[in-house]
Amino acid sequence: MNNLKHTVRVIITLSLAIIIGGVIVELSGKDAIYAYTILFTTAFGSKLALANTLLAATPLIFTGLAAVVAFRAGVFNVGVEGSLFIGAFAAAWVGFTLIELPAVAIITLSFVAGGLAGGLWGAFPGYLKARLRVDEIVSTIMLNYVAILFTGYLVSGPFLMEGASNAMSDKIASQAQLLRLIPKSQLNISIFVALAVFVGVWILLRRTTFGFEIKSLGTNPVFARWSGMPVGRIIVLAMFISGFIGGLAGASQVAGVHYRFIAGFSPGLGFTGIVVALLGRNSAVGALLAAFFFGALRNGGTTMEMFTRIPRDLIAILEALIIFFVAIELGLDWLRFRRKRPEQEK
Amino acid sequence: MPYLDMRAITKRFLGVVANSNVDLTVEVGEIHALVGENGAGKTTLMKILYGMEKPDSGEIFLDDRLVNIVNPFTAIRMGIGMVHQHFQLVPSLTVAENVALGYEPKKGLFVERNELVKRVQALSEKFGLKVDPHAQVSNLSVGIQQRVEILKLLYRDSKLLILDEPTAVLTPQEIHELFDVVRALVREGRTAILITHKLDEVMSICGRATILRSGVVVDQVKIKETTVAEIARLMVGSSVEVVQRTSTPGGSQPILTLNQISSRDERGLSVLKDISFTVNAGEIVGLAGVEGNGQNELIDVLIGNTKPDQGSVELGTHNLTMAKARTRREIGMSFIPEDRNAQGVSSELTIWENSIANNYYRSPISKWGWLRINSARGQAKKAIRDFDIRARDETATVAELSGGNTQKVIIARELSAQPLALVAAQPTRGLDIGAARFVHERLLALRLSGVSILLISADLDEIMALSDRIAVIFEGSVQKVLESKEASREELGLLMTGKRTPLTANE
Repeated sequence: MNNLKHTVRVIITLSLAIIIGGVIVELSGKDAIYAYTILFTTAFGSKLALANTLLAATPLIFTGLAAVVAFRAGVFNVGVEGSLFIGAFAAAWVGFTLIELPAVAIITLSFVAGGLAGGLWGAFPGYLKARLRVDEIVSTIMLNYVAILFTGYLVSGPFLMEGASNAMSDKIASQAQLLRLIPKSQLNISIFVALAVFVGVWILLRRTTFGFEIKSLGTNPVFARWSGMPVGRIIVLAMFISGFIGGLAGASQVAGVHYRFIAGFSPGLGFTGIVVALLGRNSAVGALLAAFFFGALRNGGTTMEMFTRIPRDLIAILEALIIFFVAIELGLDWLRFRRKRPEQEK
Repeated sequence: MPYLDMRAITKRFLGVVANSNVDLTVEVGEIHALVGENGAGKTTLMKILYGMEKPDSGEIFLDDRLVNIVNPFTAIRMGIGMVHQHFQLVPSLTVAENVALGYEPKKGLFVERNELVKRVQALSEKFGLKVDPHAQVSNLSVGIQQRVEILKLLYRDSKLLILDEPTAVLTPQEIHELFDVVRALVREGRTAILITHKLDEVMSICGRATILRSGVVVDQVKIKETTVAEIARLMVGSSVEVVQRTSTPGGSQPILTLNQISSRDERGLSVLKDISFTVNAGEIVGLAGVEGNGQNELIDVLIGNTKPDQGSVELGTHNLTMAKARTRREIGMSFIPEDRNAQGVSSELTIWENSIANNYYRSPISKWGWLRINSARGQAKKAIRDFDIRARDETATVAELSGGNTQKVIIARELSAQPLALVAAQPTRGLDIGAARFVHERLLALRLSGVSILLISADLDEIMALSDRIAVIFEGSVQKVLESKEASREELGLLMTGKRTPLTANE
């Protein structure tokens, strides 16, 4: 019942976004139906198109799930982007430093290092929240800048590739580069890591005592405390896991796509993860589907711009509209909740 | 000729019948009681009268004229006023501003402040509702806030006053004063409808009572011609047995000991002052007091949300003053919190998830960090059976449950831990008679099995019926601990308001 209601709502949200996006395209004197047809075929029309959609979806699966874990615990972690950068650098460092290691070891180590670095980066604001009640929204937003600028500094100075004019690191060892699945596409096996993380998060939330703690804390923190749950530990651990998954997102981009760390490489993958989580109603399955949807938009948009005269900005508009409608919906829920509350108390 | 005549009112919410063919007639100058259990449809009926809900069918006659009350503004214009259970005041405004809100005397665009204050003062004097028109509402006690609500109705010249559970938050003395005011109002030609489930109040002040059960009028009775037992029987449909504790407490061995506890709030104000008492094994100690006199702060100290500045909490031989909530629970404390929806359950979660909140991390519910959902659901199923929780099954969310059933989920969970001591705060608040009786019986059974129970309640009847000893708290300090059989309502009432007058023979 609830799931059905959510699905209907999401479909309404997406339809409204698509209709209004279409109106905007029409107003700018272009053919909306044509734009959407092209968008659809470039996202799903061929094997290569589909591969590139999956490629674009891969980091969003990670970052969306990262956001889900934190949000479910009631912690509004805006810092997945920062964990992604820190994790990406840590993975790249393993890749261009421990070049003697065999493939399996170096790849595993890259991901573990990326995850750990991102996890610690997330756990820090978690600790500040648990211990000193520092608002996590503010601290994670600020730490994002620290992460982006600090990693940028690292590859502009100490780890700058010799002879490079842009801020980037050395290439990672060839055996550290992930296997690509389809010719002409960068789609690589990190999508399987993403799917494994999806399964992991699903199990975590449904089948483990820690998942139960996350849900209890997220739905009612006072109840969690009264029940004797270790609230501080849950916050820190949830933030660690969230950051860990964010770090894996960074590692997947380094080991699978760029093969090196490039300063400022992420076009807001961590932030899009927040939208992915919200559109997916903070569930693992929802986030997975939403990540594919956004992957299709991103991929379709890029190609669409190349072949038609419709600017990629349409995609940005669509994303903004979706965020807008999701926000309205959440706002309405909140209002309804507030209205209902006093009557229930009788 | 009745002043108010509601005929065949029917109202459904999503298929649930809240009012079915309800007739209500009230005469001019009458205090009419509308009684019934929670969910019997009293509030719905009054909301229809006040224009907050639209009936599906039925007619309302006021002063013999058919009226159509579309919203509260219409109701107010017709002279109907309502004091809601949750006061509708703006805390940051003054008394006078609240009283006149929306109906201020104006000169052009500007409110005439002096005129406003004068009018409110005049009203307050005329009806003996003493209040300072300049005081800010947020600084007033609940009793005074209620006066402001009543003044609001008088300011709008309401002829028909609806009072929804007006005594729930008042001390005995305040109730007395309230009733005097209501009587005075009625004497000068106004009419009052009193929604309540406290039957002694009905008997003492009302002329007639209309009894609702499951949305249907069971009977309308003249108070003079009936008894409390009769009304109670009509309300619940069966004779209410008065739950009474049996004589001897289980033992004299102290289990829960509070030792000179003092505490300040974040502003540095003293909220708990040198509180000491013990609860013995098999004993119920009632903590009586008007809400807001340190009960919540004491509960926070008991569960470990705050550490006291001085003093200690001991359970048996363990000093728990600095212990975490989980440690306290593991050593043998259980808690029935006051605000069940905020503290006792997470209403978005299912019944089974709520019933494992205190043992989810231990065998048999947890193994190596995995949640064993089958044993968790089994535990919840048992709770549903043993405590007669009315729910679809254990996968229903707590939000779907009534207040009584929510409370049962909490009690089942808290008792499953087999505590040595139970802290029960307002355990029957908002519950109907049946559910409240169930809770009382459980508490008494627990007492017989040797558990020490600290019962914190604003309901004097509850405290007096269940407790072996009664501690009275006022402004953060325990005024007196007395044997229940030696305590009178009058003395408790005086102690609750800080007066330590010794008992006199006449009173």
